Amino acid sequence: MINFFSNSNIFTWIEKLINFVNSIFFVLLLVALSFALIFSPPDYLQGDSVRIMYVHVPAAWISLASFTCIAVFSILNFIFKIKNLKLITRSIAPIGLMFTCIAIITGSIWGRPTWGTFWAWDARITSMVVMALFYFIFIVIHKFFQEDDKANKISSIVAIIGLINIPIIKYSVDWWSTLHQPASIKITGTSTIHSSMLVPLLLMFFVLILYCALIFLMKYKTEIIRIKSKNLKRYD
Amino acid sequence: MISNLLTMNGYGIFVWSSFAITFLICGIIYYKTRKTLKKYEKKFAKEIQELSTRQQKTVLEKSKVASRILSSYNKTI
Repeated sequence: MINFFSNSNIFTWIEKLINFVNSIFFVLLLVALSFALIFSPPDYLQGDSVRIMYVHVPAAWISLASFTCIAVFSILNFIFKIKNLKLITRSIAPIGLMFTCIAIITGSIWGRPTWGTFWAWDARITSMVVMALFYFIFIVIHKFFQEDDKANKISSIVAIIGLINIPIIKYSVDWWSTLHQPASIKITGTSTIHSSMLVPLLLMFFVLILYCALIFLMKYKTEIIRIKSKNLKRYD
Repeated sequence: MISNLLTMNGYGIFVWSSFAITFLICGIIYYKTRKTLKKYEKKFAKEIQELSTRQQKTVLEKSKVASRILSSYNKTI
């Protein structure tokens, strides 16, 4: 079991997974884009601007999920001291920051025709900006500190503090009277989105998840090589 | 049909710019990540090649990662 999680084994699996994702990615992207831009109907209120949701919502979901993963793995790392968890959190952080920025930018573009403004210091938007800052600090710590252990410790604390912001983002639309509308898709309870819009949304989400997987695998592979390269110096 | 797809009843600029920005950012990050990976692979392969024959043999026997990277690097050059 321990051997299964060795860097060598993980490395082999990563190479296979990268090839697999590469082989199906562009076909799925074409299908998802066709649904999002051509086949799905315009909304009766928002018109065609609803299509922005097909990138905005998956990006927001991914950014929230990534930060939750980082924080949970940081807690687990504090308790169990598992080396691989550090590599995972380091590899996820840039992806999370990227999707937080995409969610903020596309949300802002959608806000112009819908709200009449690109920006409002709304609770949901502000809490998303706060999350972007947490991602940024997490990444900068790893760049700034030379000692890996120290960097991991400080960045883990940042991630755990940042975890408080996740329920604030999720429930900000219910707790405060905000410009941002409440969630249309609910895991528990009835969703208020028609299937003709749910299909492209889920397809785009799946494609972006595949993209994340691809970037994550490449970053994880880079981290393994970095460690192996450090170990190689022992032979000098 | 194509004109409708482009203008999207006046929302075209917003919709297309959202998709364009998303895919541009994704493309840049993919390119940068891949470039960094290749850089590290190349650097690691060179470090292995710089070792003495005996050290190289030990490293390649012990590390599956090292042997895989070295073989893929040798294929590319």
